[in-house]
Amino acid sequence: MIRGLWDRETVAILFLVALLPLAATWLSHAGWAGAIRLLFFLLVAGIWHLVFMLARAQPPSFAGAITALALAMLVPGDLGVVPTLLGTSFGVVIAELAFGGWGRNVLNPATVTLAFLGFGFPAAPWPDMIVPVGWAAVPVAVIGVFIGILSLRILTGAGLTFGIGMALGLDLADVWTAVAVGLVLLVCDPVASASTQLGRWLNGALFGALVALFVAHWTEAAPVQIVVSAALIASLAAPLLDEAAIALWLARRRRRLG
Amino acid sequence: MLTQVFSGGLTVPVPTAAPERNGVDVMITEEAAITALPEDDFRVEPLVDQGDSVEQGAPVLRSRRHHVLLVTAPMPGRVASIELGPGHRLSSIRFFLEPEAGRREVDTHLANRGDDPGALRDLLLGTGLWRFFRARPFGQVPLPTEHPSAIFVMAVDTRPRAPSPREAISGRAEAFERGLHALLRMTEGPVFLCQDGGRPVLEGVVPDRLRPVSVAATHPWGLAGLQIHRLCPAEVGTPVWDIHAEDVAAIGSLLETGRVPETRLVSIAGPALRQAREVRCQPGADLRELCHGIVAPGPHTIVSGSALDGREAHWLRHRDRQVTVLGGKPKRRAPHWFLSALETASRPKPLIPTAALDQALGGDLPAAPFLRALTSGDTETFRRLGGLSFVEEDLALADYITGAAPSLRACLSALLHRIAVEEAA
Repeated sequence: MIRGLWDRETVAILFLVALLPLAATWLSHAGWAGAIRLLFFLLVAGIWHLVFMLARAQPPSFAGAITALALAMLVPGDLGVVPTLLGTSFGVVIAELAFGGWGRNVLNPATVTLAFLGFGFPAAPWPDMIVPVGWAAVPVAVIGVFIGILSLRILTGAGLTFGIGMALGLDLADVWTAVAVGLVLLVCDPVASASTQLGRWLNGALFGALVALFVAHWTEAAPVQIVVSAALIASLAAPLLDEAAIALWLARRRRRLG
Repeated sequence: MLTQVFSGGLTVPVPTAAPERNGVDVMITEEAAITALPEDDFRVEPLVDQGDSVEQGAPVLRSRRHHVLLVTAPMPGRVASIELGPGHRLSSIRFFLEPEAGRREVDTHLANRGDDPGALRDLLLGTGLWRFFRARPFGQVPLPTEHPSAIFVMAVDTRPRAPSPREAISGRAEAFERGLHALLRMTEGPVFLCQDGGRPVLEGVVPDRLRPVSVAATHPWGLAGLQIHRLCPAEVGTPVWDIHAEDVAAIGSLLETGRVPETRLVSIAGPALRQAREVRCQPGADLRELCHGIVAPGPHTIVSGSALDGREAHWLRHRDRQVTVLGGKPKRRAPHWFLSALETASRPKPLIPTAALDQALGGDLPAAPFLRALTSGDTETFRRLGGLSFVEEDLALADYITGAAPSLRACLSALLHRIAVEEAA
């Protein structure tokens, strides 16, 4: 008889609210150029959401703004308008809207766009993540975990793997800002990450392990590129991790119930 | 707070006024009715006519499918009306209170002797107490010949503003124990006694097959479905029954005295009340009379059941033990045709796997995969994850949290119906 509010748009808006510290810090450092970039991506994502609303009767979502923020922060800078437009459209349409919009997609549209641009234009320079932006990811994680949108399990899983990596002598000093931003913007997306409890631990750990692997053996890659590649693979593996977690849950249950 | 973090589940705040004074009054309303919904598909034959005088506990309806299953009058009185829907489906049978009609007393000698398990079944079927059992899968009243693989006695209820079962059976320890022993005679399997973390409900020696279970104080852990899913999942062929502790005490009293107890503990709460109240009233009591004098001025809706899983009703529904009075719905302007078309174009609405979603199903079950299987109609995954242990009330919290459309309860009932049809074929 009474009804709660945690539908898709509430979650999307709360996610946006949680991301505000990150957005504000980044904008204050990127200045007008950053604001214009953000506006550009908001416009592109918004237009595609509008097209799908009119053509396919899919309600537009605030999740488009999350995608736009991630892209504004992470897309290579000197790419030119047309390649950026193509890449963004590919990500937003193929990774999200074609599946029926946010909540039905498999991969995060921002991750797909970035991976697409990374493969398509390998020479483009990836943006640097400055230290304050990296720190701004901390309040985002705290707010997100507190309201239950970001998973503490993913963050801890990733953190533990980094801890192990660092104990084994890995140097993460160059990549940690990009990793922090990537974790809250791309990896922890509640839809594109694993949705079981054990699956989330594994999801975070897999991301951490991939980043560690790339840092150790992919020397010519930029930090953002490493994070995007690791996020893409971790997100692709999420359904598999979920299946494994469910199989384990069922096996444990069978043993307990006899 | 800490136990809540580790046990999973949520507490749903439903504001209500404080009771004027403590204590529970007995309140027999002037009218009462036994009702059923069309989807209950309860086909009956009346055993009385309109205008007949009936004793409390006297049979008034008989199930057309199982002639031994009877429904008895909730109070001494006169039959005011009998309304049957298409196919003799019970809609309602109403009574006026006439205390001089008296109470029916039945012979419990055979059932008490204990050497004939059929006698106990016959007694419960003939006095209408059988209907307080609920069998899973599918959440129906169990068949008269069915043997459960386990019985769950719910001495805990975590629904917002639910009356405490502990209070409902306080002072009736002997009847409760007698009822538990009767349940042990009805199944070969275990009888689980679900209680909160406090003092044990059953003091003294615990019988062999009785298993006390301590349940977290957060919703939905105090629902039978979650406990059955956790401890003894129901499957087709191995049904599991659940029953409220107060009804177990009622079985005990019946065996002792030969009379069906007249009242049950009902809590009346909600945001549109001036004061909350706990009363002992008859089954099927008139909700308007129960709320009379304590409702705040202004429009209101009376709901039989909790704020989460209740239904707007005139009479206290079968199995309900609480009444929630909500404020009137504000008049909303119809949304623009385009927005409402957009809203309804892509159903079911997507569910975002957040922590709230996990907690709404208790935090143990993989919530997102389960609900995906449920909303997409994937019966195989649904059954693999133990979905057959659930009935609609178990998903009320998830419905509340997610605002899912169509409601998860509707999806569950459609899916269960489909599985029942497939299994019957």
